[in-house]
Amino acid sequence: MIRLASVTKRYATGSRPALSDVTLEIGVGEFVFLVGPSGSGKSTLLRLLLREERATAGLVEVAGRDVARIPDRRVPQLRRTVGCVFQDFRLLPDRTVAGNVAFALDVVGRPRHVVRTVVPEVLELVGLAGKEKRFPDELSGGEQQRVAIARAFVGRPRVLLADEPTGNLDPATGSEIMELLEDVNQAGTTVLMATHNAGLVDAMRRRVLELDAGTLVRDERRGGYDAGPVTIPDQRTEPVRPAGGAAG
Amino acid sequence: MRPGPLLAALATSLRRNLAMTCAVVVTVTICLALLGAGLLLRAQARTVDRFLLDQIEVVVDLRDGLTDANRSALRAELAADPLVTKVTYETKKDVYERFRRDFRSSPDVVAGIGPDDLPASFRLTLVDPRDAEEIVYAYTGRDGVEAVRDQRALLGPLYRFLDAFTLGAFALAAAQAVASFTLIYTMIRISAHARRKETAIMRLVGATNATIRAPFVLESALAGLLGGLLAAAVLVLAKIYLVDGRFAHQTMFPLFGWDAVWTAVAVVLAVGVAAAAGMASVALRRHLRV
Repeated sequence: MIRLASVTKRYATGSRPALSDVTLEIGVGEFVFLVGPSGSGKSTLLRLLLREERATAGLVEVAGRDVARIPDRRVPQLRRTVGCVFQDFRLLPDRTVAGNVAFALDVVGRPRHVVRTVVPEVLELVGLAGKEKRFPDELSGGEQQRVAIARAFVGRPRVLLADEPTGNLDPATGSEIMELLEDVNQAGTTVLMATHNAGLVDAMRRRVLELDAGTLVRDERRGGYDAGPVTIPDQRTEPVRPAGGAAG
Repeated sequence: MRPGPLLAALATSLRRNLAMTCAVVVTVTICLALLGAGLLLRAQARTVDRFLLDQIEVVVDLRDGLTDANRSALRAELAADPLVTKVTYETKKDVYERFRRDFRSSPDVVAGIGPDDLPASFRLTLVDPRDAEEIVYAYTGRDGVEAVRDQRALLGPLYRFLDAFTLGAFALAAAQAVASFTLIYTMIRISAHARRKETAIMRLVGATNATIRAPFVLESALAGLLGGLLAAAVLVLAKIYLVDGRFAHQTMFPLFGWDAVWTAVAVVLAVGVAAAAGMASVALRRHLRV
């Protein structure tokens, strides 16, 4: 679903590359944590997948398409296959819960009857049934993040990128959000979550990719937040799925 | 995007940006009213032209004391000229009567001139009034000819006046267009800033560039349309109160009709909407990352 081959990203101003010769592969339906200290390149990696940035060198593939070679006018199509959730929720304060979720469908031109049926379904899924008419500032942080996940998921993207989705939440609420992301993953969506939340990563025991100063230093099948005994820092372990199964 | 959500986005944007939109509407109105005024002045010049081309005559003033024989000879020569279709002789009395008729609204002028002060003359109707200069050249200085006057030349000052005002109106419209562009540019900048969260989300969920830009372009086009409608109202009111209400009683020339007004209105509306939308698109390239 996601493939990076020898990807280097150098910003005009940076002294060292934000990403340096990163190669990785994430299969369809996987749940993967992306960890590493601030400035290690996690956000850059996510931005490459959305074509917010272009790689300086190497190949970035999402859903079988070479992201760098998608023409500008086709980039919206890429972004419809990749949902996004952020630490700061990024909800529109002047729209209701339902309005925020419907917005994602409205702006891609989905017909009204689709919006009317799909939005309540997704709100039900994220546990916000009955709160459709609330405004974001009337919700708790956890509820706001649920709205954000609903918005990211309502278009049924094939990949969900989550950048520190629990960063602004207390541990209990963070766990709830993780459960929700697991549900999304169960529905068949590939989830890539960048996080600093060691507790969650350790509890979930999912595949962990660790970046350090732009280099992939760990790719562990059932990893914790910190490198366990199985990790060899300068030698990547095999991806979970073989290359053939990941495409498409 | 469907029309519903698009209009909702437009309404929100307009509400947030009301003061700025009003400023844009006012400048656009002034700009388009000036453009319309220029168009009407041009229409007026053409109306006068058409009227004069039908009516224009070259007048050959005759010296006093010209003998009947010489006069007949001159008349025969004029009548034989291929540029001339018709020759009419007017006695001193005829000329004086015409003069009194033409200046009936200026009794002071009439009072100062007596029947003997004006020369008898031939009035020539030309095949093409634009050949008047040739006639003037050919007959000036001939025996018994006092002067040859091209009536159209007398209207030089009127044409210069109309031309100058037309040019002035277009120049002011251009200056206002620059001001309008600056304001629309600023409006888009403020609007894009106010809606940056929304547009960022639109981008993330895969809205197309056209969708993201549409509310901004529509907002500007709407301001252009409003400005155009106000400018059209100014033109219509000017026609009713200024042109028909006042000028019509003060001039002997025909004035432009409603067809000229409607043409100007159509141009003003089209230019208003298209230019405002175009200016917004230019500004968006700078202020909205898509």
